[in-house]
Amino acid sequence: MFDFAIGGMQAPIFLLMITGFTVGIVGGFVGVGGGYMVTPALIVFGFPGYIASGTDATHIAGKGVIASIRHRQLGNIDWTLALTMVGGTMLGVELGVRLLNYTKSIGLSGPALLTGSVLIMFGLFLYTQIETHRAHKKIHEISEQGETVGRELKTSKVHIWFQSIPILPIVKCTHARVVISMWAIVLVGVATGVLAGFFGVGGGFIRVPALVYVIGATTHIGVGTDLVEIVVSGAYGAMRQTMSGNVDMMAVLFMILGAMIGAQFGSIATSFVRGPAIRYILSYSLILATTGALLRLIYVLTGQKIEFLAFFAVVFTLGEMLFLCLFIVSLVIFSVRHTHGKPVPKWVPPLVVAAT
Amino acid sequence: MKWLWESMFGYWMVLLLISLGAAALVYVLWLHENMHI
Repeated sequence: MFDFAIGGMQAPIFLLMITGFTVGIVGGFVGVGGGYMVTPALIVFGFPGYIASGTDATHIAGKGVIASIRHRQLGNIDWTLALTMVGGTMLGVELGVRLLNYTKSIGLSGPALLTGSVLIMFGLFLYTQIETHRAHKKIHEISEQGETVGRELKTSKVHIWFQSIPILPIVKCTHARVVISMWAIVLVGVATGVLAGFFGVGGGFIRVPALVYVIGATTHIGVGTDLVEIVVSGAYGAMRQTMSGNVDMMAVLFMILGAMIGAQFGSIATSFVRGPAIRYILSYSLILATTGALLRLIYVLTGQKIEFLAFFAVVFTLGEMLFLCLFIVSLVIFSVRHTHGKPVPKWVPPLVVAAT
Repeated sequence: MKWLWESMFGYWMVLLLISLGAAALVYVLWLHENMHI
C-alpha cells in the first residue's frame, strides 16, 4: 500500500505496475498504445478522474518517442502529414485539458471520464467486430474472383470525398501518396487532440483509423505518423496536465516501470505469437473493461452506497488485464514448447509462430 | 482435465476464471477500504 499524496489516496503499487505492464505488452500487438484502458482502470481502482487522466497522459510521451524512432527507421512516417497535423493536435489537446479542468471544477471529472470511456470502448468493440467482418467478406469475394489479396485492404471510400475538398492550401504528402486540403488534416488533428487532452490518452485508436479512412494513408503510414502526433500530444498534454495539478508523479513512475517491462516482453512475444489471435481476444476483453467502467459509473451515480458494484467493477477491470497478460504469456510458453517438439494443445499451432 | 487441454474455449474460460478470482481477492484484501472518487 502506497500513499499517493497528490492523488489523495492509498493504493497497492502493483495495481499501477500491472496496468502499465498490460498496456505495454498489448501495445506491441495492436500498434496503438492501449491508453484508453488506463484512465477508466485507474478510476475503477479509486483514483480521482482528473488524476487518472493526467497520469495516463504523462506516461505516454516517452513511449511515443521510442516507438517513433523505430517507425522512422522503418520509413513509416510522412513528415509533411505529421507536421501539418501538429498545430491542430496541440489546439485540440489544449481544448481537451480545459474541458477536463472544467469538469474537475464542478466535481464531475470521474463520472464524465467514465461515461466517455464506456462509449469509446464499446464503440471500439463494435468497430473492430464490424471491420473484421467486412475485411473477411472482402477477402472472400476477392479470392472467389480468383485474384490475390494485397497487403492493404480498404473497405471504405470516405477518404475520396475528403480528398476532393477544394479549400486551399492543398498539401501534397509525397510519402503517403495523398493530395488533400490542409484543413482536412488540421480537423483530424483537432478532433483527436480533444480526445487526447480530455481522456489523457495518446488517441491512436481514433487517429490511425482517421488517417486511413479520412485522409487515405496506408495503415503503416497511419501508425507511424500517429506516433509522431502522440509525442506532441503526450508532451504538451503532460505539461498542461501537470500545470493543472492533475499528475501524480509517483503513480506515473510505477506505471512506467510496469510499462517498460511489459513493452520489452511484448516485443519479444510478437515474434512468438500471431497478431490477429491477440487482437481477437483484445476485442472481447474490451467488453469486460467496458462493463467494469459502467459498473463503477453506476456506483458513483448512485451515491457510492451499493458496495457490490464497486467490487464487480474491480473484478472485471483487473480481471480483464490479468486475463490478457496470462493469455499472452501462456501462448509464448506454448510457442517455445511447440518449437522444442514438446506436446501442445491442438489449437495452439495456428496461433503461434514456430520460433527458429 | 483432457478436455481442458484440447478445447481452446475451455482453456480461455479457466484463464478467465483464475483472473477474475485473483481480481476479487485484490479487492477484498486491499481495495475496499481505500476507494473513493
